[in-house]
Amino acid sequence: MSLTSRWEEFKTGMRPRISEWRFMLKRMRQSNLAMAGLIIILGFVVIACLAPVLAPIPSVNRGNPWAIPQDQTITGLVGYNVPTPPTTEHIFGTTYYQYDIYYGCIWGTITAFRVGLTVVVISLIVGLLIGTLAAFYGGVIDEALMRFTDIIIAFPGLILAIAIVLAFPVAIPLNLSMLFLGISAFFVVIFLGLRRDRTGAIFTSVFLVILAFSLITYLYFPLILNLNLGKLDKVLVALTLVGWPGYARLIRGEVLRVKNEDFVEASRASGSSDFRTITRHILPNSIYPVFIVATLDIGSVILTAAALAFIGIGAPPNYPDWGQLVSASQSVITNASNIVLYFHTFFIPGFFIAMFVVGWNLLGDALRDVLDPMLRRR
Amino acid sequence: MRHKTRETEGTRNRASATGLNIDFRLIYVGVSEMANLAAYIVRRLILLVFVLLGVTILVFIVTMLLPVDMRALLYVHGSVKYLTEAIANAIQQYHLNAPFYVQYWTWLINLLHGNLGWSVSSNQDVVVSIATKWPYTFEIVVFAAPLIIFLGIYLGVQSAIHRNGPIDQASRLLSIIGWSLPSFFVGMLLLAVFAGILGWFPYAGSMTNTWLVYMLTPKNHFMHYTGIDLFDGLLNGQPYLSLDVLWHCVLPVITVVTIDVALLIRVMRSSMLETLSKPYITTARSKGLSNKVVIYKHARRNALIPVATLSGMLVAGLLTGLIITETVFGFGGLGSAAVKAITNLDIPFIMGYTVLTALLFVSANLIVDIMYAYIDPRIRLD
Repeated sequence: MSLTSRWEEFKTGMRPRISEWRFMLKRMRQSNLAMAGLIIILGFVVIACLAPVLAPIPSVNRGNPWAIPQDQTITGLVGYNVPTPPTTEHIFGTTYYQYDIYYGCIWGTITAFRVGLTVVVISLIVGLLIGTLAAFYGGVIDEALMRFTDIIIAFPGLILAIAIVLAFPVAIPLNLSMLFLGISAFFVVIFLGLRRDRTGAIFTSVFLVILAFSLITYLYFPLILNLNLGKLDKVLVALTLVGWPGYARLIRGEVLRVKNEDFVEASRASGSSDFRTITRHILPNSIYPVFIVATLDIGSVILTAAALAFIGIGAPPNYPDWGQLVSASQSVITNASNIVLYFHTFFIPGFFIAMFVVGWNLLGDALRDVLDPMLRRR
Repeated sequence: MRHKTRETEGTRNRASATGLNIDFRLIYVGVSEMANLAAYIVRRLILLVFVLLGVTILVFIVTMLLPVDMRALLYVHGSVKYLTEAIANAIQQYHLNAPFYVQYWTWLINLLHGNLGWSVSSNQDVVVSIATKWPYTFEIVVFAAPLIIFLGIYLGVQSAIHRNGPIDQASRLLSIIGWSLPSFFVGMLLLAVFAGILGWFPYAGSMTNTWLVYMLTPKNHFMHYTGIDLFDGLLNGQPYLSLDVLWHCVLPVITVVTIDVALLIRVMRSSMLETLSKPYITTARSKGLSNKVVIYKHARRNALIPVATLSGMLVAGLLTGLIITETVFGFGGLGSAAVKAITNLDIPFIMGYTVLTALLFVSANLIVDIMYAYIDPRIRLD
């Protein structure tokens, strides 16, 4: 078989998928709200890419962009710790201790993308793994994984995140890896009992790998911890640990819906492996709702991170992060006249947060209309 | 829960055979329903005990992850000369080195005696601390929760009926804005406009100082009947005190409503749209029923199910404390107390708070499930 005929075959096979994408793009272009969301997000992408040009890294930082420059010249009568309103030099003004709000907002865009995308992508992967395994294999595996998920969901997210962030520095190195060890040992015991066929064997080996991984964690976690895990990274870890159960539940439901369809039976009957059945037949037909939720989730992750920053759990005071800037404004806004006087210190970074979240929400809302099979053809 | 047809052939025949005006069918159904409901509630309450045990064990494990020295430090009060010795004493006195299950058992027995321990962060007994802080959260929730639920249902229904019309566009915009704005941003913006520029509302706190002084002065004989200042003011014959509390609640309530009504509008709208496309709505219309009857009697009632679940969870969530709103408006409620406790690693308070949270969520779930039977008579509790 020649290369060209293979290509032709591929093209024929892909034709329905391509026309589907065309249809989706057409629907997207028809909706004003969707385009508004897309433009807002693209605007933030441009700001993030041009950050070194828009807000050059000051020479005192020696190439490190993750510290907001302080204006040392403003002292005397006004006072070092009193915010100054917008001027030509600081177009968004300065906040507490003369940190430049403009620099913080521009570089904060990169932080926002980093926080939102990291948390959502990692929670999505974990949720995808757990939800798919639980739904596809069912039985004991489903019970064990989903009851664990239920326990995590039962806690209020913000409180759990705060607890994880605070417990992180002291508790993680030794105790949590012991916890990992215990959980994986528990799973191995369950799956050793299940080893009747090939699937059982695969599972046992997977969980033996997890066991090995937790052993490595136990031995090396203090070392990994020394790799400069900042306060913001702890927030990332906490939000991921809080975020994955939602995805696991959603994906489980979707896979359960799809897994008894005829095409899945056909795939199994033609002798494809479990892995191939899941990745080629089940996931492509169950993943769209997850994408919609993930898009909407980027906004809510940013909101939660900002809320954490607001109560003082998050990036340190000189870090370019929107939530941190709003949090810093709290120390100067103490009464009714201050809040008018230092309006810029919370309004500008707060506005950036709001626009970022609005953008993702508009986009996710539009994606729902475009991708949801129940709504799309109306 | 399963669906069951309401009437059986046997009862219907019996009712018609007697020829009396009493509908035995209804009595029969009513009695069996009550018995069902009671059995259902008892079963759920038993389940509640297990959920509480599970949640508290998990939280206990998390707190046990902290090093023993750190946990012991909580029991060391005042200025201590020899810190290491004091810590060692505390470990011995409170059995902090004992195995996990021993410590958990001790805590559980204490809980059953109503003793949740001493909260370091609020310098009070945990039970007292929660009891004194909850009213401030409650004062906001008592206004916010009904507003959120009724406004959410009303706007959601209107938005679904007039799909893509101006009302729909406006309420969708409202829900997207409410859903996207950080709550501290809404709160601070409201404070800047209504407290800073216009001066209509107070800046912070839950009561004006003069009333606080009045309340605390012993010769005024101010009785704390409910612990909630809003009601105590009325009960003590001081309506202006209650009005003052109300005045302080306005901005926090607006903040909470703006943020939380968004989700309810969205869910109500999509649920209503789905219901309106069902065949029985077409049937109802083809029978010649008026638009009003079709929408409010047939469609809205059926569309309420997902909203009921959500409202239950929402109210339970609000009652566990409004962390950000309370911080912005200087309300010393449960949410800000919980944050303070967590940042101070105040384990007794965190445990008490967890028990309360779990209790609230499980009871909200139960109430919602019972409410289902009233919203949709086809649903029977089993």
